[in-house]
Order: sequence, then structure tokens, then C-alpha cells
Amino acid sequence: MISTLLSCSKEKDVIYDVNAVNVDDNSIDKSRSKTTSEFISIAYADLFGTTISQSDLLKLNTVYTAFGDKKLIEDRIIKNFLNNSNVNVPVAYDVDTSAFVNAAYKKFYNRSANAFELYYVKEQIRLNANLQPIVLYYGLMTSDEYRYY
Amino acid sequence: MDRKKFIKSVGLAAAGVFAAPYILPTGRLFAASGARKVNHVVFLLYAGGVRNLESVHMVDGNLMPNLLSGNAAISNDIVNSIDPLPPSVLGQPLQNFGTLFKEFRYKEGPTGHYNGHTVALTGNYVDVDLNIKESPRKPTIFEYYRKHNSPQQTALNSWWVANTLGPYPALNYSSDVNYGAKYGANFMAPTSLISPAGFDVLGNPRNFTSNELGAMYNIRDFSDQTFRKSFVDGSAGVTNTDNEANLLQQFISQSYADAQSGLYNDPWSAGSSMNNDMYNVFFAEKIIQQFKPELLVVNMQDVDVAHFNFSSYANNLRKADYAAAHLWSVIQATPGMANDTVLIIAPEHGRNLNTNTSIDGNGRLALDHTAPVDLITGDQTAREIFCMVLGPPSVVKQGQVINTLYGESIEIAPMIANLLGFDTNIPGGKLKPYNLCEMGAAFI
Repeated sequence: MISTLLSCSKEKDVIYDVNAVNVDDNSIDKSRSKTTSEFISIAYADLFGTTISQSDLLKLNTVYTAFGDKKLIEDRIIKNFLNNSNVNVPVAYDVDTSAFVNAAYKKFYNRSANAFELYYVKEQIRLNANLQPIVLYYGLMTSDEYRYY
Repeated sequence: MDRKKFIKSVGLAAAGVFAAPYILPTGRLFAASGARKVNHVVFLLYAGGVRNLESVHMVDGNLMPNLLSGNAAISNDIVNSIDPLPPSVLGQPLQNFGTLFKEFRYKEGPTGHYNGHTVALTGNYVDVDLNIKESPRKPTIFEYYRKHNSPQQTALNSWWVANTLGPYPALNYSSDVNYGAKYGANFMAPTSLISPAGFDVLGNPRNFTSNELGAMYNIRDFSDQTFRKSFVDGSAGVTNTDNEANLLQQFISQSYADAQSGLYNDPWSAGSSMNNDMYNVFFAEKIIQQFKPELLVVNMQDVDVAHFNFSSYANNLRKADYAAAHLWSVIQATPGMANDTVLIIAPEHGRNLNTNTSIDGNGRLALDHTAPVDLITGDQTAREIFCMVLGPPSVVKQGQVINTLYGESIEIAPMIANLLGFDTNIPGGKLKPYNLCEMGAAFI
């Protein structure tokens, strides 16, 4: 009888006075490191907008295994990708630098840049002419966060 | 205890721990925890399972004229399967430069290649439960060196150079929580890395200016500080400092450039006789010339063709012999390593006395390496190996041959630790104590 009474009680309409928010995952609490194949495939897709061929993936997996310092070899893989004539990297920043930085964070980190990150990276772009888009991509792709998902 | 007594006892204890630094003849200064005999050790794992019958006992003639004294002719039925090689790079056989243990033993455990490599590098026998997909459970000699040598050295000073991939990349450090990647060696499989396929994917990196790199580091460091989780703490393998990583990048780039310009086509003028083992030793020599490592381990495994073809086994045994001599000649021609290096040469295990059923073109039957682990039943010949220790006359007994049962595989790691002066810093129970090692007979 009690349960019957509870199940029949009328639900109240409650209105919370809050603004609409973006529900993108902004978390940097990534705990799982990418496998070698995942790292190579994702990096290739991020830079070329297409899937890596099986033969190139096999070659890269082999050289990856053939050297003990994985950070070093990943750095070299990324630098080779970035030197490929087919790489898809903007040659200059958009007028809207915030949008560019946010897009880069979404592309590589699968999340939006938080306010502090946005400020810091935009300031670096503003103050340092050497930080061209390809240099920014290189930094983000060889960071620790890019190695995790 | 009064203050005076306390100071006195602490002083005595400190004196025991901190023996005065000393200067070696080469002029290098060391904090003396154990006295160094030399500043460099190279260990050549030779060469994929070698039977004493074909090596030191020369039943088919002297197939290793660069290592061993003797003019015994190669057996008539296989001599035409032996490829021509350039003349020896040495004036006399290697055994004259040190001590030869003819009856060394791989005493326990399965006589598999990965087992044999693991035993040699960890100084401990392994059981049948060894997982070839994982790093060894016990620390490797590289980790002991990097953790216990004083002063501590970076990975640039320790190298593991393997002739193939498979499980072997896992041997540069163990899964021991007190050691591991932090103390691991640089690993390279040169014939996989410095290859046409390797060049395709790694040979043309974008070169960033130093200003661009500075800008990149700002972004990366900022990102890493925000993320607060380091990939190097996970599965990033051995880690080099930024400066040393740059040196390694340059080394790889130079290797690709040399390969592209044809310098590696026939580096020893051996023509088509140059096999994978010889190339692996050739690249180990490049590492020696470039980095002068204190500890380098390099292997060869081409004689393992013995599973299918005895004559090719004999042929590759001779090539391994040539490569060993070449390695010694390069060590002696490298300033900083000449006369200050001990070279240890030993197979990871032997091969069976009894043949299998594969027969080659010369009518010879092939050889496996399957000694039963009970140490009693069946064919135990795969436990019979040799060991050669070469070095400066002031350190290694020259021209000594020990014909009796002497020394075993697990003595190589403590021997290396003793030679480099850090054996006394390794916690007890991890390695066979140096003073119990019969290999000690090789040294002055």
C-alpha cells in the first residue's frame, strides 16, 4: 500500500535558474595510454585526414619496436609526418586564434582548451613568431597527454 | 654512548663506506665502492646456439680461426659450403689476448634462445615459465650497472644491440619494481631500424630551427605540467635526457645518410658473405665509435640455421668468428676503449649431440637444442658451451686455456659488475657472489 501511494504521488515541476552549458568532455583525467598501433594510426589520421596504409603501419610498428627509447622514436615519427608534402597543417593561424587553439585541442586531446590553456597558448602565439601552426602541432603531438586517451 | 664515542664510531663507519676516490691509469676518477678493473665491457652473445664439438673441439676442422689457434682443415664434405671471407683483421687468434674456458656450462633451465639470453643478461637461471612477451622478472646487468655504479650513468653508456626483434627488445630492462626502465639500457635492432623500410618512415624528418624548438618546448612543457601524468612513467621504455636524445637522433640520421650514400653496402669488403650477424656487429661498432659505452651487449644468432642445415650452421659459425675479430679490432682502434675494455664471448647455449632428421645438400643432419630440464635424462649436450675473456694484459691472463669443467652462464653478469667495480653495491642474493665465480680464473 505504501509503495502504491508513493508511486502515485504527483511529480513537482522544478525550474532551476541556470544558463545552458556546453557539455563537452573537458577532462584531462586520461588514464589509458595508447598502444603503439593506436598512437601511430591516430597521429597519421590527425595529420593526413585519412587512414594509414597497412604497409606503412607495419613499417612504423617495426621501427618503433627496434629502438628502446619510445619518446625519441615517437618524436621522430611525428617529425617525419610533419615533413610529408601531403600533411594537413595550416600554414598560418586563423584571425580567430581562440577558435584555432580550441580546434587544435579538440583534434589532438579530444577536449576543449580550458580558459588558462587558451590564454597561455594564445599569448605564446602572440609573443613568439616562431610558434607557427606546425610548431604548435609538433608540441601538442609529442606531449604526454597525446599519448593517453 | 657519549658524544666522543658516537663521533668516533660514525667516523669509522663512514671511512668504511666512503673509501677514498682513486684515479685509474686512464686518468678517470671514481668514487671507490669497488675497484674497477676496466672502464668498458663488451659482451658478445655468440651466436645462436653453438656446439662445443664444432667450436672448441674442432671436429670439422677449425671453423673459428679468428678466435681459436689451430690449422685443422675444414671437413671435405662441407668446405664448399663455406663462403669466402676477407683475411683476418688480426695478426693472431683472439684466444692469445685472453683466457679461453673450453668447458663452460649453461647448467640449468630450458636451452631456448630467449632463456639463454635472459640467463646471460640477468645472471640467474630461468624456469620453464619464462614469458617471452614480457621483460625478465629479475634485473638485467644493465639495470644493476645504471643503479649501482658510482657515479650513476645515463642510458647512453649502456647498450643492448640485438640482431632481430621478436622477444629480444624486452631484454634491456626487467619488470622488477626496484629497477626497471628507469635503469634500462638503450636498445637497438639496427638491421630493422637502419633499413630501407626504416628509411621510408623515419629517414626524412622535418628539421626545426632552435628557435622553433624553443617555442615547441614551451608548449609541450606547459601541456605536460597541466596533464601531470608522464608517459615515461608508463610504457615509454628507456629514457634519455633531452641532450642525449638529440645525440641519438643525430646518430640515427647519420646512419640513414651513410646507408643512402652506399657506405653500408659492403662495409667489410665481404661481398655477399656479409650476413645479418655481421651487420649487427658492424652497427655495434658504430655505437662503440660514437658513444664509447661502458657496457654494451651485442648478439648474433645466424648459426641457428642449424635446426635445418648443418653446413649453413658451419658457414655462419665462421662468419660469427670473423665478426668477433672485427669487433675486437674496432675496440682496440677506438680511443678511450683501446686497452681499457674487456670483451666476453660466449654462446647463450649449445646444441644437441643427437641430430634431428633434416638433412642438407652435403648429407649432414641438422641439430636442435633441447636439453631436458631435469638435467639427467636425454641429451644434455646443449648445456656445453665455451667462454672467452679478452682484455688488457694487466687485467686478463693472456693465452690461458682452461680445458676442465670451469665456469657457468650465470657468472657472466657478476663478472661484468666486478670488472666495472659495482658488484659490491648490488644487494646480496641477487647474483652469484663474485668470489664464487670460477670465471675469476681469467683475471690477474
